[in-house]
Amino acid sequence: MTALAVGTDSFSVFGTTATLLVSDPGLLDDARAIADAELAAVDMACSRFRPDSELSRLNGSGGAVVPVSSLFAELVEAALRAARLTDGDVDPTCGQALEEIGYDRDFAVLQAAGARSPLSAPVTLGVPGWRCVRLDRKRGLVQLTDGAQLDLGATAKAWAADRCASLIAAATESGVLVSLGGDIAVAGPPPADGGEGRGGGWGVRVTDDHAAGPEAPGQTVTIRSGGLATSSTTVRTWAVAGQRVHHIINPATGRPAVSCWRTVSVTAGSCVDANTASTAAIIRSEAALAWLQEACLPSRLVRQDGTVETTAGWPSDPGPA
Amino acid sequence: MRRDDVRFAAAARDDGIHKISKFTWRAGAAGVVCSALIAVAFGHHVATNQSSTGNNGGSSHSQQPASGNNGGGSNQGSSGQGSSNQGSSNQGSGGIVVPAQPPASSQGGGQVTSGAS
Repeated sequence: MTALAVGTDSFSVFGTTATLLVSDPGLLDDARAIADAELAAVDMACSRFRPDSELSRLNGSGGAVVPVSSLFAELVEAALRAARLTDGDVDPTCGQALEEIGYDRDFAVLQAAGARSPLSAPVTLGVPGWRCVRLDRKRGLVQLTDGAQLDLGATAKAWAADRCASLIAAATESGVLVSLGGDIAVAGPPPADGGEGRGGGWGVRVTDDHAAGPEAPGQTVTIRSGGLATSSTTVRTWAVAGQRVHHIINPATGRPAVSCWRTVSVTAGSCVDANTASTAAIIRSEAALAWLQEACLPSRLVRQDGTVETTAGWPSDPGPA
Repeated sequence: MRRDDVRFAAAARDDGIHKISKFTWRAGAAGVVCSALIAVAFGHHVATNQSSTGNNGGSSHSQQPASGNNGGGSNQGSSGQGSSNQGSSNQGSGGIVVPAQPPASSQGGGQVTSGAS
């Protein structure tokens, strides 16, 4: 069976790799232009490493009420929704905690810098908590308790993937897949035949590292709508005094989550919901299995030893990851 | 009883009923006006809270970010929440949205890779 032609483009964004697939190759340039504009706007709004971003301005506001753009307000709203849906396990006020473990610059720069000084004891136990963020969408105002630091990394990338996919599908009437560092959103009519026995839909290789090749250990599935996201403690790690740390913060401790899962992949109605669930699953550790099952979210969870568990209709895995 | 007395008593009764009726109508009208004023005064709070948390049904949970009544800043947002998370509230309106269909099994390497970044 021969795969139908699909327009493909890859580029760097947010310190990671973006991939754009369009079912009509002739519309790839239009799709890329839409994606570029949206991603630039999101970066300008919520980059923690840009002093001129709205996020940096809010983090430095000292508790004052800050007028924000509607885009930034939407991003904050998405982060607060994720926090509410996970009872605070996916918390946007982990900016200070990330800085305390050395994640205070772009990840590529962080990796190049090598080992950091030893971890100091956390100033406070846990992060300030998402309830210290006040949002008034109607007036475009945000207030952050003095001392709290917002980080939208957990949701902004997935939210941007959803946004790009829906805008491109609406503008081109073509099926589209947007992957931002492995956070995948699809919209529009899916390909009728992905080839290689995929049937209709987009073929996705689920693995630990989004930058790995298509033959990396893992599983291939097809999705036709919504989103698929993967969270892992094996990627975006760095050394602090000989100890490997990662970027998924447990809000209760303010330190990288200790989990029985090394990688969790979830499909949901949107990429941001999938990312919310996969991130929460890492933090919830063993309890995540029952939670994902009860929430009817098809998921693939990989234990530290490579053993795979699945929930809620995720297709059976051929073997260890 | 004299006829004049009966007429006087009837007139007094009618006058009393009229006064009570008039008072009742005025009290009712005042109540309506007060209700309208209260609705106008506080209606925007409901709209603000709903808009600040997305279209998630406006449950009592949805008012938290806008009202910010826990702004003390220690760790209200996270403490003790990790264990009470069975997700029972995550279904239905306002919960994590389940996919229209689960992923299907497939062969080959996939067109893209989903992994952590």
